[in-house]
Amino acid sequence: MNLIDISLEILSNAFLAIGLIFVFLGMLGLVRLPDVYNRLHTTTKIGTLGAFGVMMSILLKVGFSPIGVKAVTVGLFLLLTSPIAAHMIGRAAHRHGVCLCQESVIDEYEKACALKNKE
Amino acid sequence: MKRYISYAVILGLVWCFVHGTISFNNFVLGLIFAPFIIRPFKPLYNFKQDFSFGRAIKKIPAQARYFYVLIKEIIKANIIVAKIVLQPKINIKPGIIAVPIRTVTDLGITAIANTITLTPGTLTIDISDDRSVLYVHCIDASDPEAVARSIRNDLERYVLEAFE
Repeated sequence: MNLIDISLEILSNAFLAIGLIFVFLGMLGLVRLPDVYNRLHTTTKIGTLGAFGVMMSILLKVGFSPIGVKAVTVGLFLLLTSPIAAHMIGRAAHRHGVCLCQESVIDEYEKACALKNKE
Repeated sequence: MKRYISYAVILGLVWCFVHGTISFNNFVLGLIFAPFIIRPFKPLYNFKQDFSFGRAIKKIPAQARYFYVLIKEIIKANIIVAKIVLQPKINIKPGIIAVPIRTVTDLGITAIANTITLTPGTLTIDISDDRSVLYVHCIDASDPEAVARSIRNDLERYVLEAFE
């Protein structure tokens, strides 16, 4: 085992650790934050980087073999699809009348929806 | 025809990546499959707009800069959200604000909406019917104008350069 292999191994493990820490924080946020919209913040943003970190770790471990390339593809698709999923969940929740939490200071979307329903 | 070729090249590359081995044979196979994918889903692809290879290539540096900014912002966003989650007592002022946008094409609006979701403290909820205002959920909405300004001046500039 030469120096490059060892350093790749260490980097791969570091990426795995970073990814797992962020996934853990995302789940912690899911439990701790008050309402749907705030929870979506943690699951989309942190979920993306967490999964991306794990995928990068796979790439560094196996190199550009079929598994590594597929891992990168999965990471890129996550980057593209997780915001769309968040947008759909958020909009559906708002249309079903899920209120914002007590601490919320402003809701301009509510006003726009009310204006549209009146017309 | 030009658009068919460009979409086929993109789908061929995607096929290579999904298959896992990037080789010329795989690329050609993807190229052959591509029209069968594009044809039934034609309304989803943008065939009306005129298209030139020169302009598409000219945009590549701007797109590279956009992805660099995007990755930087994603990492910043994660650290900010992680800090909020780890506070002993969660102290946030969330709210939904309206952000006017300048992008007009489908691709541009998709790009700006996705970028907003992946950047610190903001999450796109919906777009208005006339496609000029995005409704953004903000984890710290104590100063709506500042958030809207930062989106307009910072992120939207890169998106406009890269995709419009």
